[in-house]
Amino acid sequence: MSFFEQLAAGFASALDGYGILIRAGGVAWGIIGGAIPGISGAVAMALALPFTYALDAPTALVMLAGVWAGANYGGSIPAILMRIPGTPASAPCLLDGYELAKQGRAAKALGISLICGTIGGLISIFVLIALVVPLGEIVVRFGSPEVFALALFGLTLIAGLSGPSFLKGIASGFFGLLLTTVGLDSLTGSMRFTFGRADLLTGVDTISVMIGLFAVSEMFFLIAHPARPAGTVVGTATTEFPTLRELREVGRATFIGTIVGLIVGIMPGAGATASSFVAYNEARRWSKRPELFGKGSLEGVAAPETANNAVQGGDLVPTLALGIPGSNSAAIILAALILHGIMPGPFLLTKNPELVYTLFAGLILVNLLMIPVGLVILRLCLMAMKLDPPVLIASVLSLIVIGTYAGDLFLLNPIQALVFGVIGYGMRIWGFSAAATVLGLVLGVLAESEMRRSLIISHGDWSIFLTRPISATLLFLTLGVLVYPALMTALRRWRSRRVAAAPAAK
Amino acid sequence: MLTDALGPRFFPMALGSGILLCGLLLAAAELLFRGEPSVAGPLSDAGPEGDEEAGPFSIARFVGAIAATALYVAAFEPLGYLLTTPPYIAAILLIHGGARTRALLIAPFVTTVVLYVTFRFGLLIPVPDGPLEGLLPW
Repeated sequence: MSFFEQLAAGFASALDGYGILIRAGGVAWGIIGGAIPGISGAVAMALALPFTYALDAPTALVMLAGVWAGANYGGSIPAILMRIPGTPASAPCLLDGYELAKQGRAAKALGISLICGTIGGLISIFVLIALVVPLGEIVVRFGSPEVFALALFGLTLIAGLSGPSFLKGIASGFFGLLLTTVGLDSLTGSMRFTFGRADLLTGVDTISVMIGLFAVSEMFFLIAHPARPAGTVVGTATTEFPTLRELREVGRATFIGTIVGLIVGIMPGAGATASSFVAYNEARRWSKRPELFGKGSLEGVAAPETANNAVQGGDLVPTLALGIPGSNSAAIILAALILHGIMPGPFLLTKNPELVYTLFAGLILVNLLMIPVGLVILRLCLMAMKLDPPVLIASVLSLIVIGTYAGDLFLLNPIQALVFGVIGYGMRIWGFSAAATVLGLVLGVLAESEMRRSLIISHGDWSIFLTRPISATLLFLTLGVLVYPALMTALRRWRSRRVAAAPAAK
Repeated sequence: MLTDALGPRFFPMALGSGILLCGLLLAAAELLFRGEPSVAGPLSDAGPEGDEEAGPFSIARFVGAIAATALYVAAFEPLGYLLTTPPYIAAILLIHGGARTRALLIAPFVTTVVLYVTFRFGLLIPVPDGPLEGLLPW
C-alpha cells in the first residue's frame, strides 16, 4: 500500500464507531487534568491508562495522545485566569495571559491559546509523519547489536541529561532497567528476583510502577507538603476566538513557537517545559513590539502555547521511529503499547504499520477536536479548579487503587503502585529521576534480549558491537555522553580555582 | 549450536554494579567538592514552578497517607470497594486537613459512587463487593 492509502486506512480506522467519542473523552480529560494544578500532562495520561485496558491498541494510543494534547492546552486555563500554571509547561503563559485577564481580555487569551496550540499541534504532526516514515526505512536494516546500542545510547542520553544530576539520572535509568529483570527470563526460563512467589513470574507491572512513580508520588507530595491556598479566578468563563488581524499579529510568534517546539521535542530529554520557556524568549527577541511582553502581549501567550503543543509531534519522532521516548508522556505511549502486547522498538513501523498510521490519523483528529472540546469544557474546568485540593488528592488515590486493580483483578498491582509511589517520592526529594526509571522500564526487556541475542550470534564474541559501523558509532556516542559532564565539571572547577587563586597570587 | 553465553545472571549483575559505581562516584564527589553545586543536566526539565513553592514537609501527614493507603489496599478485596472507599477518602481528607466540613461530609460518598459506577457499569470491571456480594440488586 502506498503512503496515502495507508493514511486513508488510518483515518477510516480512527473514525470508526465509538472511537471519536473516546477520543473526545480523552481530550476532555486532558484539558481538565491539565487545568488542575498538581496534575501534569504525564500524570493525566498515567491516570487514563487503566481506562485503555478495554480498548484496542490504536484506540488506546489515540485516546492517550488526546489526553496529552488536551493537557497542553488545559494548563494555560489556570495560568491565564488564576496566575497558577496548571502544568509546568504553561508557566510562561501566565506572564502575559494573567495580565490580559486583568485587562478584561481573558477570553481572548484563552482563544489565542486554544487556536495557536491547535495550529502548533497540527503542524508538528505533519512534520512527524514526514520524518518517521523515511527514518523507519533506515532503521529497518538494524540488527540486534544496533538495536542494543541504540537503546543504551537513548537511555544514557535521556537519563543523564534530563535530570537534576547526571549520576543520579544514570543510576535512576539503571534502576528502571533492573526492574525489568524481575520474573521469568525470556531466553532461558530461569526465575529472577521472584522470591519463590508465582505472582512475580510475569515481572513487575509496568503500568502500576509508572502510575506509582508519576501519580502516587505526586499525591503523597501534595499531602506531605501542605498546598498553597488556591487563587481567585479573574475574568469570565468564555473563550473568544482571535480575529484575522490578531492572528496575523501573533503569526510570527506562532511560527517561532512551532519551530522551537518541534526542535526541542525531537531532542531527547527536553520536553514541553523547556520548549515553552525558549519559545517565549525567542518570540520576545524577534517581536516587533517586545516592550509589550509581560504587560499583556498576545504574542506572549501564543508562542509558549504553540510550542508546548508542537512538542507532541517532535517527541513522537524518536518514540515511533526508534522506540526511544523523548519525554514522560511519550514513555507512557510506549507503556500503553506494552500493555497491549506490542513490543516498542525500532521496528514498530515495519511490524505494525496499521497501528502507526491509525495513530497518525488519530493525532490529526485529536488536535482538531481540541477546539470544540476546549470550548465546551471550559466551565467544567473552572469547577475542577475550585475543588478542594484534598478532595482531589483522595479521589485520585482511590482512582489509582481501583484503576490498577481493574487491569488484571490482581491485588499486587495496587500494592506495586503504592510501593513505587513511596519510592518515587523519595527519588523526587533526593534528586533522582523518576522519568529515567520509567524509560529504563520501557527499554529494559529490549536492551537485554538484543544484547544477549547479539552475543549468541557472535558465539560470545563482544567485538560484534564494535565491528559494525552503526553500533560502534552509537556506543562511541554513548561513551561521549558519559564522559562529557565529567570533563565539563573538571574544566569548570579548574577555571574557578584559577580565578580564585589569581588574586591570592598578587 | 547457539548458546546464550551470558545467561540470566549477567544483566542484573552489570546493572547492579553500574548503580553501585554511580553511588560511589556520588559519595566521592560529595566528599571532595562539598558545597559546590552538582552537575545539572543541560536539558533539565524543571521549571520555576518547582518544589520551592511547596510548604514544609510534615512526616505525620506523609506516614499517615501511606498507612491509610496500605490499609485501604489490604482491605480492598476482603471488604470490597463500597465499604472501604468512603472511610479511606475521609481519612485522606482528615490527614490532609485542608478540606471544608461540607466536603468532608459529601466527598467520600460522591467519589465512591462515581468511581464505582464508572468501573462497574461503564467499564464492566467486576469490582470486589466483599460482604455485600449477593446483597446488591445488580
